[in-house]
Amino acid sequence: MKTFEEKFTAWIDGQLTGKELVEFEASLPDKAAAELEKEQAQKLGAFLKEQLGAHSMTNEEFFHHQLREQIDHEEGIGAGAPARRSGETWWTIGRLLWTGAASLAVFIVCTFFIMRDEKVGGQSPLLSQVLGARVDNPEANISIFETKEHKVTVLWVNGLESLPSEYAAQ
Amino acid sequence: MHTEATPAQAEVPDQDLVQLCQKGDAEAFDQLVGRYRTRVFGMIYNMVHNEQDAWDLAQDSFLKAWKSIARFRGQSSFYTWMYRIVMNVTIDWLRKKQVKGSGAEFNDEVQLREIDPASRTVPKADALPHERMVHGEIRTRIDQAIAQLSPEHRAVILMKEIEDMQYHEIAEALDCSIGTVMSRLFYARKKLQNMLRDVYENV
Repeated sequence: MKTFEEKFTAWIDGQLTGKELVEFEASLPDKAAAELEKEQAQKLGAFLKEQLGAHSMTNEEFFHHQLREQIDHEEGIGAGAPARRSGETWWTIGRLLWTGAASLAVFIVCTFFIMRDEKVGGQSPLLSQVLGARVDNPEANISIFETKEHKVTVLWVNGLESLPSEYAAQ
Repeated sequence: MHTEATPAQAEVPDQDLVQLCQKGDAEAFDQLVGRYRTRVFGMIYNMVHNEQDAWDLAQDSFLKAWKSIARFRGQSSFYTWMYRIVMNVTIDWLRKKQVKGSGAEFNDEVQLREIDPASRTVPKADALPHERMVHGEIRTRIDQAIAQLSPEHRAVILMKEIEDMQYHEIAEALDCSIGTVMSRLFYARKKLQNMLRDVYENV
């Protein structure tokens, strides 16, 4: 459903035809005033066209030259060389997917090896407890020998009169 | 719609040139620029009333067109698509200027100094000094009146009255409905009639 403004504009521009035109003209409360307004609008249109229509650009060649320079600058190529297709980029969707998948695979592999190394090289709870124990003898020393390949850790304790019973039991 | 194409250029339709541009042919884009630069510049000038700004905005518009021509699917004519870019660039610029400006967008002193209306309305060689002055005054009145319109209303009235564009083409260029175009045209005409009646009745 067109509003009055829309119908009036279409009427001025001669875009109303047939039944629509008859109905619109019949709905006008003051047809003479509307006709006058139509004439005014048409005069205004012709006046604007006459006054604003012929506007020329000075130095068109320089405009062209400047535009070409800007395009070349944007495209990152030298003047005269064929321009890369606009909007084209190295990061196509396919490449993005492949790059994402490869990054994920590298991450998973690295995580796997790091986790495995941590398990192999991790300190046993027993060692942590011994090192955390208080030793009265200042001459006491403790040496640790570890072989990761065989998953063996030897704790060599000198100068301790005794080990706490819970460690000795283990 | 007239174009500035020479007979040799006119043999190549816009659509073919667009396809060449999409393959990276900058020479084809040069031809399109040659066809539409004056119309684009004139349209922008009528909206912003300043040569230098119109020049810069026309450059921006064509640059944007080049950058996005790969996405142009040919659902409308090239010039309608181009006008859409022109309108986006110009209306955006006018809005920013309104926000930054002091509110008085039009300045008589500046306009009279910057505009040489005789050069746009009649050939310079034929214009007598008093004719130039009269044309200058008329042009100034028109510019003042157009400056009172919102950017959207300016665009609609100029595309309709100067460019002879159809409602659907204007709607496409401004990304709005045909009803909106007609409604804006109604109010823009009313406002310009009120402001310019004494001028166009006496010319």
